[in-house]
Amino acid sequence: MSRVIFLDGSSLPDREIIGGKAWSVARMRSLGLRVPPAFVIPVDECRRYHDAGRKLDDELWSDVISGVRAIEEATGRRLGDPDSPLLVSVRSGAAVSMPGMMDTVLNLGITDEVAAGLAQQTGDTKYARDTHARFCHQFGDIVLKADLDPYVAGPTADEVRALVLDDVGEPIPDDPYAQLRAAISAVFDSWESARARSYRKHWGISEIGGTAVTVQAMVFGNLGEGSGTGVLFTRNPLNGDPTPYGEWLPGGQGDDVVGGTHAVLQLDALLEKMPAVHTELLSWANTLEQENREVQDVEFTVEQGRLYLLQTRTAKRSPDAAVRIAVDLVNEGLITEDMAVQRVTAEQVDTVLLPHISAETAATAKVLASGEPACPGVACGIGVVDPDETERRAHAGEEVVLVRPTTSPNDVHGMIASVAVVTDLGGSTSHAAVVTRALGRPSVVGVGDGTAMSMAGKLLTVDGGAGKVYEGRLPLIATEVDEHPTLRTLSAWASERCTVNVVHEFLGSVVDLDADRSAVDAETGKIDVEKLTALLTGAEAAKGGVLNSPEGAQAIAASGIKTVVTPRRLPIQLRLIQQ
Amino acid sequence: MSDLDFLALHGLAVRKHGGPATVASLIGADEASVAVALEGAVANGYAAGAKGIFMVAPAGQAYLAEQYPVVFADARGDEAFVNSYERFEKVNVDLLNLMTDWQTMPAGGGRVSNDHSDADYDQGIIDRLGSLHERAERVIGKAADAQPRVGRYLERLEEAYDKVLAGDRDYVSGVRVDSYHTVWFELHEDLLRMLGRTRQE
Repeated sequence: MSRVIFLDGSSLPDREIIGGKAWSVARMRSLGLRVPPAFVIPVDECRRYHDAGRKLDDELWSDVISGVRAIEEATGRRLGDPDSPLLVSVRSGAAVSMPGMMDTVLNLGITDEVAAGLAQQTGDTKYARDTHARFCHQFGDIVLKADLDPYVAGPTADEVRALVLDDVGEPIPDDPYAQLRAAISAVFDSWESARARSYRKHWGISEIGGTAVTVQAMVFGNLGEGSGTGVLFTRNPLNGDPTPYGEWLPGGQGDDVVGGTHAVLQLDALLEKMPAVHTELLSWANTLEQENREVQDVEFTVEQGRLYLLQTRTAKRSPDAAVRIAVDLVNEGLITEDMAVQRVTAEQVDTVLLPHISAETAATAKVLASGEPACPGVACGIGVVDPDETERRAHAGEEVVLVRPTTSPNDVHGMIASVAVVTDLGGSTSHAAVVTRALGRPSVVGVGDGTAMSMAGKLLTVDGGAGKVYEGRLPLIATEVDEHPTLRTLSAWASERCTVNVVHEFLGSVVDLDADRSAVDAETGKIDVEKLTALLTGAEAAKGGVLNSPEGAQAIAASGIKTVVTPRRLPIQLRLIQQ
Repeated sequence: MSDLDFLALHGLAVRKHGGPATVASLIGADEASVAVALEGAVANGYAAGAKGIFMVAPAGQAYLAEQYPVVFADARGDEAFVNSYERFEKVNVDLLNLMTDWQTMPAGGGRVSNDHSDADYDQGIIDRLGSLHERAERVIGKAADAQPRVGRYLERLEEAYDKVLAGDRDYVSGVRVDSYHTVWFELHEDLLRMLGRTRQE
């Protein structure tokens, strides 16, 4: 019996035995979906490798070669054959993901001859050269542990190889099988890296056996007409609309879509060129959504008219979409109401309910500055340049927008005191953006040199989601749960399931936690659950913003208080249900 | 002014305000001596303080601006140190991208706030933080060879990273704690002040 498992879908071994990546491949195969052929070296081989003194024994290696043969048969390509080269990815896969584990090595099997062959078949010399250089960089960095700067396109494979040799004194093998053997060993070695070991020790999971290694064929989205790569969301991830939404990049390979390096087309372009592939894709994506009972984000590649699924996972979505999708999935019979009230978080509901500027208002308002949206939300206040003045005036009860040319740690206290932040310089990944997002302050960055100064002393409305600063105080629209089509439904389900009475009004004695802040640390804002529980214990009812937090929900549950009074019931109800 | 007096004022300026313990941790000196130094700065009119919390006064800012070229002349003239700063700026770009990926997630052409409900996504970022921290060790380590005081930031980054690994998510980008970003931001400010560079954002 072979010690490697070919993932053809005929069986579905436990995730603990083959790791998450291989499991996902096997599962898609068992659903009858096409994925690039792969085999896995299961977890127990990791221990065997280390017991043998970090050595792959000959028997395992010959099974690995059989695994490669099986992939070659399925793809009609051969490892190291310049005329029809097989390239593979090598990935680690433990039951639990942890730091220190080896990242993926892609395009393994590329050599000087193979690169020349690829250039000819793809008609794209640059692609072949870049892929070769990128592989050498990745192999040098990850397998040979060379100290390299992050990869940037440009240097040739020879140049990267020289850098690696210079740093570690060991060459990158030009034999694909030597590459494969080294990469597999590197995955097993990474299991015993200092970082991975201390992580397991810290979390008390030392008993987990090891990592699996998945070896999978690479497919090519750049083999001329009828090839390409893309992503498909089974529903629109921004508004939750139940129509598939996707991006398609004809002739694209690998990370081209995700990496944002190429202009991508909408999915309709695929429908036009290859209607059969489009139909197949939608049908497969639907299968995955039905199976997983969740909206899916599917990565795919089309190689000469043949569709391959590369990966599927639960799609990230906006708060609006999260609410809409949860309710729609119940209506479609995919999930229960119980599941829906578990899936939507209080934070998502709070975000949907944030006040916003109507399109009509925005169209007629005077825009003082435009920049990059750094943290969403709308706030209004007087523009102040100096952070100390911001803090002083905010403490005196004024609403202040901090407007800065740039931001340094010296401005952080002003950012904390402000209702919104605007900066002249910097992009959506600047220090200012990072700090305002951590604080949840609406912010617009990069509005242009000298702009912030010109807004000092003016009354401003900042729309952090749109990246706009308007003159004056604009009227805001507040969404109410009862007026929102899907929140209303969700709220009804939550009310049926919440055992604490969460109400708008209460006639009786109510503990006011906005007045008594003794459970909140004044400097860090941290909520002390025990103190809060003590405040609630024995009380008839309570109110206060602090209750709409994870700590608040814990304290409510622990204290056994029967009634909570709040203008917004749904977020607290969801927190209590999800306890 | 003694070296410690100057460094205490400089450390206070990097943070804007804080008590002796905070400043002592930042410059890697003992708390009692820093307390004395900060009291001295108040007496000189370089700092203001109340209830054990100090901040740099305008006169102190002016004094620092005037002294930096003198006190940090050797750092500014040290090619190795300046080179490691240039490398720090490169890692800084990746650090800020990482922080952005921690706080927000891509969703169909846009980005949404990370609600930390996807453990795999978060773990992926923490893994990246691990590799970035290894790069930071190399870069800041080289800077500390030239200016040993900078090594103190590496210890503080290590502490933040350990807390993140221990599951305290606030130590990635939290503002009110000595998170990885808070310490990094202060290191950035410190290096800019030492080298007399202007912030680009």
